Amino acid sequence: MKVVGITTQQEVYVGSKDRNFRINEFLIISDPYQGDLMGEIVEAKTYNKYIPLSIHGELADSSVIESLKALGYNIEEDTIYIGKIRLLNEALYPVETGCDVRIPTFDEVKDIMINSPADEGLILGVIKNTDQMAKDMDEEYKNLLYTFEEGELKKQRDIPYIFNIRSMHQYPHIGVFGGSGSGKSFGLRVVLEELMKLNIPTIVLDPHFEMDFSQRGDYMPKEEEIDYRDKFKCLQVGFHVGVRFEDLSPQDLKNLLDASSPLTDAMNNVVDILFKRNDSYNSFYNRLKMLAEAQEEGSLDRIQLRIDSADSNLEREGWLKRKELFLTYDKTCPYNSVRGIIWRLNRLYNEGIFSKDIREIEDGLNMGKLIVIQGNTRILQVFSTYLLNNLYHRRRDYKDALYKKTTAEYFPPFIVVTDEAHNFAPKGYDSPSKSILKEISQEGRKYGTFLILATQRPTLLDETITAQLNTKFIFRTVRASDIQTIQEETDITVEEARRLPYLRTGDVFISEALMGRTIFARIRAAHTTSPHTENPFDELKNISKAEDEKFMQIIKNKLPINGDDFINVIKEIERDTGITYTVNIFEDKLEDLVTKGLIKKEKTPFFNIYKEI
Amino acid sequence: MYTIANELKDKIVYLNKVLSEKYSQVLSLDEMFLREFIEENVGPIRKVNKLTEEELAYYYQKGGILGVDGSRNRVGGAYPHFVEIYQGLAKSTIYKDKPIYKADFYSPLYDEKGEFPIEDSIEEEESIRNRKLSTIEIEAALEGIRQLKPYAVIMDGSLIRYDIESFTRWMELRRECEEKDIILVGVIKDIKTSIIGELLKEDKELNIEECFHDRELLYGMLEYGEMISIHGEVTKKAKEGFSSLFMRSSKAPTVIGMDLLDSQKKYLEEMARLVLTLTPEDGRGVPLWIDIVDSEVKISDKMIRGLLESYLDRQILEMLFISERDKRTL
Ligand SMILES: Nc1ncnc2c1ncn2[C@@H]1O[C@H](COP(=O)(O)OP(=O)(O)O)[C@@H](O)[C@H]1O
Ligand SMILES: [Mg+2]
Repeated sequence: MKVVGITTQQEVYVGSKDRNFRINEFLIISDPYQGDLMGEIVEAKTYNKYIPLSIHGELADSSVIESLKALGYNIEEDTIYIGKIRLLNEALYPVETGCDVRIPTFDEVKDIMINSPADEGLILGVIKNTDQMAKDMDEEYKNLLYTFEEGELKKQRDIPYIFNIRSMHQYPHIGVFGGSGSGKSFGLRVVLEELMKLNIPTIVLDPHFEMDFSQRGDYMPKEEEIDYRDKFKCLQVGFHVGVRFEDLSPQDLKNLLDASSPLTDAMNNVVDILFKRNDSYNSFYNRLKMLAEAQEEGSLDRIQLRIDSADSNLEREGWLKRKELFLTYDKTCPYNSVRGIIWRLNRLYNEGIFSKDIREIEDGLNMGKLIVIQGNTRILQVFSTYLLNNLYHRRRDYKDALYKKTTAEYFPPFIVVTDEAHNFAPKGYDSPSKSILKEISQEGRKYGTFLILATQRPTLLDETITAQLNTKFIFRTVRASDIQTIQEETDITVEEARRLPYLRTGDVFISEALMGRTIFARIRAAHTTSPHTENPFDELKNISKAEDEKFMQIIKNKLPINGDDFINVIKEIERDTGITYTVNIFEDKLEDLVTKGLIKKEKTPFFNIYKEI
Repeated sequence: MYTIANELKDKIVYLNKVLSEKYSQVLSLDEMFLREFIEENVGPIRKVNKLTEEELAYYYQKGGILGVDGSRNRVGGAYPHFVEIYQGLAKSTIYKDKPIYKADFYSPLYDEKGEFPIEDSIEEEESIRNRKLSTIEIEAALEGIRQLKPYAVIMDGSLIRYDIESFTRWMELRRECEEKDIILVGVIKDIKTSIIGELLKEDKELNIEECFHDRELLYGMLEYGEMISIHGEVTKKAKEGFSSLFMRSSKAPTVIGMDLLDSQKKYLEEMARLVLTLTPEDGRGVPLWIDIVDSEVKISDKMIRGLLESYLDRQILEMLFISERDKRTL
């Protein structure tokens, strides 16, 4: 390998007759005057004077090339390989043309590849095209992981990519970008596995119900199985966790209602006026309801009529109460706004949000667990607003108290992780969850609260937050607008941006403030798998198979079944199992088993006989 | 500006008119008729196939193919202040690391053996230059067959040209090929003959006054892979001792020519198949091997300038070979 052509202080071309170059490969240029210069291949090309453009711009077709080969001339041997190297540090002078280029040793690249001990960082994958340097790597960094490529589990051959989690203190927050199917969720899973390994308290908002870690990836060897079951907890909003209504501040309540469906100014006003400290769900709801009923009557006279004509004391008292509410609030709380609040409150209630609390989440974090909060996107928006405000302020209060030397209950630092982050912090309009995420993005570093935000639409993510993400994982991205956003928000080069649409699933550019350059990596094979990675068509097949087996069990000891005897067999089955079939359906099902070859059918002049095979 | 453009346009319209008139006869010749005429008077039209893998393997065993080509570069101004540089190359498909290069030069300022014509007849002068180029190609070919012992030699251009331009060395090459049974074949990209044209003109019944070129008549007439092997009597008119054919060797509608020694006539079709095999279907009809040799024998003018600047005294270079025009760009 030699430097060829015109060189500059930043870039040189390197040529070789027998060795192809790989993008992101590191090489050392031995400049006789400036010493060793390290660089990275940013473009790789092969060149053959005769193919494909032969000499006059025409394509030498493969049959001609093959014929020449048969005659002893292998045109491919005239191929030369050319790589463009970008120097990591600008040289003082343009590099000497003609000087030698060699592969670095591990020690020479260690500092630019690895910045964390293996047991303290997140082991996320391998740095691609580093196998040659990995040969003399310290044992500490060997055999840390597998990759999964083209349907095959592969042993680690490259230098590992280890994310220095401690550096988040200085460079907080991570963004994970990439189009659908590019490997974001899989990458997040690996990040979460590593966080669990280090017992870092983590909240995961999981709109896809996919972040469960109890199932081993079926490609992983059994002996590599890691049991995460006591390191995480999946909690569903409204089922396991919720909001304690009594703990809500007026602002909390307004956020919740707003997240459920946007509030008008008048509705905000209604909450301010009608919501009282220490209200329970019922006391608040009743106040709203009775006011609305009074307003429905339309006038004081009519309410008075209700009071006068009440059948019972209880009813009279009820209407007296309504009258009072009407007199106090009718002017300031228009009927429509009151109804609007009732409707929203009802909706939240029906989702079970008010039936539980967040105790279990707090306990989990305190024990260094990973807490997965599941629910559909909308309910997560509602709940996370409340939850994150709550947890973040607990942490902040604790730290502030330490600073002011007063006392407050301990609350640990934690990480917030979410997929589809653009739903929680959208660009261009306000949403309750956005303000808390924005606050964490700007101030969280001080308190040890960090964000990991994944989205397939970085363009739709709030730009203030995007600007705070100091590390970015960029997977395959095809959409031009997103590529442009990524280019603006990271230090990836033009060449790298051009490669974005072509990245393989699981390959990723990592732009890390700490490293000051972009690393090309492959995410390792996750130890665990999402509970619903089953192909939907396999699912259909499996279901019908299970159905068949069930039916076989039922009829097995009834075989052979005569066609004139269906009624009696059906009755027996009903008695044994409680399952009823009509004659038609029963016959269809038997025929179905015949076509599937599970039983056989014999014809007689009068009826068919279904028999065991 | 406008008037000039207009005048130019008129001239071109006029050119189109005369050309259409002149070629209306060719263009209106019925293709079936022409094919029949050729079959009857020129030679049979046949479709040939590419060589098979086994045949190619046999060629390889027998020494592969030697490609021969030459190049010329001229530096300087008008007569006699210029130098022309010739390079010949013979390259075997088997011994890719043993290219055989030959070089020579010509300048009217230097009389090798007093062979220059006294009166500066342009034709004579040009024939010397052609002879030099042909000779150097023949020499490369000779050394190639001696060292590399190929099965066949493909020369870029007509064999007849060597016979005319460098007779003695040509006879030497010819003899050696015949003795060693090495097939010698010339491939002509731009055929300049009028073999069919002459015959058409001679046929009094047809009443064609013009003598058309073969490339005009054959344009688009043959199918891909079709060849016309030209009758001995017809070729003889041009030059004795050669056998020739026309072939459409690619999808392009143009036709190439090939010639072989008369004594090796039996290889005519085989060589046509070899050339067809080595020619890219979507190309201009030239075998890739010839294109490869051609690109390696070519020297850029810049390189020649560099050579002269390095090895000629500055004074001599400027005094003799740098034309006024070149100086401007210096
Ligand atoms: N690093 C990886 N190694 C092996 N397979 C991967 C990797 N990343 C993703 N995959 C596979 O590709 C598919 C899509 O990945 P996923 O993470 O769901 O994409 P996204 O979340 O970006 O839409 C999944 O089936 C997953 O198994
Ligand atoms: Mg996903």
